Amino acid sequence: MSTPYFKNKCVTQLNCTYCDSVLCTRGMKAVLLADTEVELFSTDIPPNRTVDFVSVCYSTKTCKCKLRDVACLKCGNVVGYHVVAPCTPCLHSCNNGHFWMFNSISVVPINRLDASGLNLLLWGDLPELDDLEGEDQSSQSEEQYLR
Amino acid sequence: MRINKMAAVPENRALSYGVFKWSSYSSTYLPENILVDKPNDQSSRWSSESNYPPQYLILKLERPAIVQSITFGKYEKTHVCNLKKFKVFGGMSEENMTELLSSGLKNDYNKETFTLKHKIEEQMFPCRFIKIVPLMSWGPSFNFSIWYIELHGIEEPGVVQPCLNWYSKYREQEAIRLCLKHFRQHNYTEAFESLQKKTRVALEHALLTELHDRLVLRGDFQACEELIDRAVRDGLFNQYISQQEYKPRWSQIIPKSSKGDGDDNRPGMRGGHQMVIDVQTETVYLFGGWDGTQDLADFWAYSVCENQWTCISRDTEKESGPSARSCHKMCMDSQRRQIYTLGRYLDSSVRNSQSLRSDFYRYDIDGNTWTLLSEDTAADGGPKLVFDHQMCMDSEKHMIYAFGGRILTCNGAADDSRGSEPQFSGLYAYDCAAATWRLLREDSCNAGPEDVQSRIGHCMLFHSRNRCLYVFGGQRSKTYLNDFFSYDVDGDHVEIISDGTKKDSGMVPMTGFTQRATIDPELSEIHVLSGLSKDKDKREENVRNSFWIYDIARNSWSCVYKNDQAVKENPAKSLQEEEPCPRFAHQLVYDELHKVHYLFGGNPGKSCSPKMRLDDFWSLKLCRPSKEYLLRHCRYLIRKYRFEEKAQTEPLSALKYLQNDLSLTVDHSDPDETKEFQLLPSALFKSSSDFIPLGFSDVDQTYAQRTQLFDTLVNFFPDSMTPPKGNLVDLITL
Repeated sequence: MSTPYFKNKCVTQLNCTYCDSVLCTRGMKAVLLADTEVELFSTDIPPNRTVDFVSVCYSTKTCKCKLRDVACLKCGNVVGYHVVAPCTPCLHSCNNGHFWMFNSISVVPINRLDASGLNLLLWGDLPELDDLEGEDQSSQSEEQYLR
Repeated sequence: MRINKMAAVPENRALSYGVFKWSSYSSTYLPENILVDKPNDQSSRWSSESNYPPQYLILKLERPAIVQSITFGKYEKTHVCNLKKFKVFGGMSEENMTELLSSGLKNDYNKETFTLKHKIEEQMFPCRFIKIVPLMSWGPSFNFSIWYIELHGIEEPGVVQPCLNWYSKYREQEAIRLCLKHFRQHNYTEAFESLQKKTRVALEHALLTELHDRLVLRGDFQACEELIDRAVRDGLFNQYISQQEYKPRWSQIIPKSSKGDGDDNRPGMRGGHQMVIDVQTETVYLFGGWDGTQDLADFWAYSVCENQWTCISRDTEKESGPSARSCHKMCMDSQRRQIYTLGRYLDSSVRNSQSLRSDFYRYDIDGNTWTLLSEDTAADGGPKLVFDHQMCMDSEKHMIYAFGGRILTCNGAADDSRGSEPQFSGLYAYDCAAATWRLLREDSCNAGPEDVQSRIGHCMLFHSRNRCLYVFGGQRSKTYLNDFFSYDVDGDHVEIISDGTKKDSGMVPMTGFTQRATIDPELSEIHVLSGLSKDKDKREENVRNSFWIYDIARNSWSCVYKNDQAVKENPAKSLQEEEPCPRFAHQLVYDELHKVHYLFGGNPGKSCSPKMRLDDFWSLKLCRPSKEYLLRHCRYLIRKYRFEEKAQTEPLSALKYLQNDLSLTVDHSDPDETKEFQLLPSALFKSSSDFIPLGFSDVDQTYAQRTQLFDTLVNFFPDSMTPPKGNLVDLITL
């Protein structure tokens, strides 16, 4: 996360509006870069046991980011999307670096409290994530078995 | 022609039902919700709590009815919880249900109706319970949801009651037959005759009653053999034979050599070559490949009848044909006696805009001439240069279908260290007469019903009778694809046969094992030979080949053999029991007229000698037991039993019988049969049987053992002739 602006934002827990299961415990309220009228929630860590992909990648009219919808694993309703590959303009503008989004109509946000139980938990309070290693580029070796 | 007993067609209407039982449900998605159709309410559905089996809903009809169809409602939008695969069962009681339907829903917002099985051989049967079993949802990790269910059928008592009566009668009749069988097994002669006289129910076909008489009652073994002999001749064992599994029989082909030198008159070692077969003349054609160091351009023909290779050309390029290549694909037009070749693999060091043109050649067998059909099929609207693709010939309509393969590209900009994502080629059709290409399906990762995902290392076969392409397996970069779909070439329609779930593991050939497949359009079977795993870690020294058969009509796979042992007990094993070592980059072709496969060469994947290639040539026949074998086997069983019976009372006479008559029925060249035969004399030293067959404690031992032999022999006859398979005593549980 680049700027101090994001560190002051609340950490919210996000529940599915349809079935009330917990989708994510570290959400951030944000606006869509491509259309700042649209409010949504984003998170940094892939929520892998609460949601899963549906369907295929697509792009919208507003920008060329490659997206893929995710749905709540409990009820199967679409709750948001994942940015599979950001487009260059979005990547270069001010952003919170999150690639997992939840539609505001699909989730019920709950502000989380810090350890004392008195104050709101802020993103600045969360420990930094380790940088994930880039994926191994072992491309070839496919051709080995051909002849 | 069926006699229609009804005056008018009985009315088919919606049947009332209630939800009787369910496996689970999650949150507010209760089972009862399926009674209500509210497509715009996402909560108006039943949703299972997880997708771990068993998941089901059992519906109970208000009245027994003939259930003719089931309708599934949907949500207004596509939804991952929709059932991609499900089964429906039905019956008069919860415990006793039969499968009525196996199908899947489209992932859309339209209601879908399916016909349910409601007849047994033209006789309608009623159901009281309907069980819906979801097997797979459109999103594999998601739960199962059903939005709305309607059942339609006939519930008019005037129609249902007679069916109920028939069903009742049918069950009673089967119960009587079980009793008859039980009485006879236990020699309750009076009870047996009395029941039979009173009910006039036949336990079995008259021929089998005769067999029972001769074998069990009279012990006239000679007469038994005569009866079996006549039965086999009359073809009564044919149904049994058709249900037996195939046994593979490999045999290495050592061709005749025309000249003394032996070196130049058969194809050298190679991998990545191509073979096609002309079944009319029983000729196998082989072209190109990689010998470990370089591409090859030699072209050969093997005549099965002459058992000889002929070199058609040492270098096809010199005869206006293709340059040396490997990983190309060939197909044979047996009607016009022409061979086509497309694609090849090029090492990155030799790729440039010139060499990356996808040339397309045709060879005319009778004229012995090559024709360049296109310098670059991509320029003609066809595929770009690809390797590890698949190509099939449709001789009837004179079309060629090419699918998949990876597109060869020059390496792009140096600063993008990732390199571009691999691109896969779509499904193309080539009209041979018009010499034009058409793209039928682009490579697509969409999950639409007509979308097709391209790949490499897959199998594609053309079924000339039902005019469909069958595609399965393959790989996209690191992902192994397990799906199986067909493409109707005339209707331009994709049908998904299986989308490859983990639940099928062990029941279908696994991908990633360099499969080679062939098709038999007459038997409607696909044969798959699996060899080495592409994954070096999975490659153990003792992994052997496995051979699978897919029955297209029954949509079922069966494994013919799966040999994982390297243990060679007998070093001097006969050639028949050897099989080619597992390998990749080999070629397998099938002669569907003579039912023989041929395999040549390949790469054995020896990490210690990576340049080594094979040049062995094998034939494979899949054998089922023949009539003659079964006849001998039955004779053996009868005589073996006779010997054992004799051994109790006249051991010397029994020994002589063993050495003469019984020995005649044994194939002494078969090690298993010989071994069993050698153990038989131990019966001479037993005072009485070691155990009494379960359920026969009150019967004379001889009678019991003869009955067992009778039961064994009866299995070879068609089910319509035999007594019921079950036994009354087996219904008793502790």
